Amino acid sequence: MLQVLITSLALAAAPAAEGHVRIMAPADGARIERQKPTALVYEVNPGARGEHVHVYVDGKEVGILRQLKGRYTLKPLSPGQRTVCVKVVNRAHVPIGVEQCIKVTVE
Amino acid sequence: MAAENLAYALAQVLHNFGAVVVVGGAAFALWAPASPSGSGKQLAQLVGLGWAVQIASGAGFGAISYYYYGRFPEIHGVAVAALAIKVACAIAGLALALLLQWRVEGWPEARRRHSWCALAVLGATALSAAAFLRWFS
Repeated sequence: MLQVLITSLALAAAPAAEGHVRIMAPADGARIERQKPTALVYEVNPGARGEHVHVYVDGKEVGILRQLKGRYTLKPLSPGQRTVCVKVVNRAHVPIGVEQCIKVTVE
Repeated sequence: MAAENLAYALAQVLHNFGAVVVVGGAAFALWAPASPSGSGKQLAQLVGLGWAVQIASGAGFGAISYYYYGRFPEIHGVAVAALAIKVACAIAGLALALLLQWRVEGWPEARRRHSWCALAVLGATALSAAAFLRWFS
């Protein structure tokens, strides 16, 4: 019984320590229209080391997210395949390795 | 995790005290009653030390990040401009403080006062830029 409790607690604690990023929209591989803003819907658990979140398009930082869950409007993207990343950073603004990236095609 | 936080905290302590010295030292030189000890050479040394600490601790933030994550902080836009202003102020402040320390005894009062004014402006500008660096990244 005690072992089950300890294992459960350890499993519950592990994701919180490591953190995670989920991009709910747009979907990976989605096709989006050019000249239209795109809603980035996300959910973040910054983990023990994370503090806030940066948004990148093709490796260039385009925004700062201080809420751990919500919606961020990406400016219209130029045509072609684009990589959108959401990365958790620490207080010194260093990405800690907790991130998710998706590819979208702008048409 | 604890060691990483401790390293960042110690760098922040040095950075904070460096900021106090560069602004407070220059303000003291401008507004405090004239010291009987003379020219302000020792105060110039202290302010120069403050700027050196600012540069070292600022670089320390980058070094700590690189040590723990293999990369430097990622900043852009306004934050990059703010960092550039801080670096420029620190270099100019250190140079002026060193010059003041070496030449102050031969300078007329007006030139000393202008130098301390410039150091105060550099300190205030660097501190203001720090706020933008903090909140635009």
